Amino acid sequence: MKKIILILVFIISIISCKTDTKKAAINESSETEQKQETPQIALGEFDIKAGDFVDKEIQLKGIVDHICKHGGKKILLVTDEGDAHVFSDERFDDALKGSEIIVNGIVLEERIDEAYLLKMEENNIKSHSEGKSNKEQFENRKKHAQQYRNMMKADSVDYISNFSLKYISHTEID
Amino acid sequence: MKKLRKWSRILHRDIGYFFIGTTLIYAISGIALNHMSDWNPNYSIELKNFETDLNLSNSTNVKEQILLLLDNVDHRKNYKKHYYPSNNRLKIFLKGGSSIVVNVKKGYGTAEYLKKRPLFFEVNYLHYNPNRIWTWFSDIFAAALILFAITSFFMVKGKKGITGRGGIYTALGIVIPLLFLLLYM
Repeated sequence: MKKIILILVFIISIISCKTDTKKAAINESSETEQKQETPQIALGEFDIKAGDFVDKEIQLKGIVDHICKHGGKKILLVTDEGDAHVFSDERFDDALKGSEIIVNGIVLEERIDEAYLLKMEENNIKSHSEGKSNKEQFENRKKHAQQYRNMMKADSVDYISNFSLKYISHTEID
Repeated sequence: MKKLRKWSRILHRDIGYFFIGTTLIYAISGIALNHMSDWNPNYSIELKNFETDLNLSNSTNVKEQILLLLDNVDHRKNYKKHYYPSNNRLKIFLKGGSSIVVNVKKGYGTAEYLKKRPLFFEVNYLHYNPNRIWTWFSDIFAAALILFAITSFFMVKGKKGITGRGGIYTALGIVIPLLFLLLYM
């Protein structure tokens, strides 16, 4: 009986080892495939190239400059060349601040058009009249809306795209 | 009714004792996070201004210069990363979340040192549901709060109970949020 149990244990361990190796090999190859398939965009080129990748997965590499203190679900990724915001459903770890990371995420596009600016101005007036913003903040937001209008006029376009990334995963670089 | 009153008191009392710690965690962090626009609930921030003669302009060997700067204003072992937000500005990240910004042309700099607020950091961490186990635990706590509300109806009889003064307090506690919704929503 003991011998049978020993043989069974031996056979099971061999099978499980083989399956694990196979699984590991499959995982490795699919990871390599994914790594090869996901394009990496330089942060400096993100605003220019992001339009071609809306709703698609890309990689961005940069340093975490800031983690939003309200909720911690937004980070600002930076390099000498540019920056991008990354949004997540989960909180980011505070320890990520100052770390260099590669983020995988889906490109999001927010279109700023005349309707958006009118709503922005309406909210600005409302929050100022309710005392939620001071005169300086009110004037700055007003100026900001005008800057968008000037940019649209200069480029002869109906809207301006703001791109960001919806977080999927990240890898820290030493 | 007598049995219901007895069990309401027992459950309210004993589960109440069990969740005293959790109640304090959510109450303290609730106040701290409610006033997030007035203060940083997790860290206290200390600013230190300095001047430097070091050449910190963007170059291949700037890291050595940055480490020399850290010898003066902090410790080189705290260096994490750096980048240039603009041609004139260098930002250095330190371990623990602190950072230094230097105007590389003028040599003026400011170090921002972050220090975890004891107690607040920990309770805020729990308030933000750090993992699935805590989510389950806090769900149980929320269910216990509902149980406290229900059992409070039956705990005391007479004019101090729900048919008397208790009822007035209960009505007020419901009317205030309703009024708020009517006025501000």
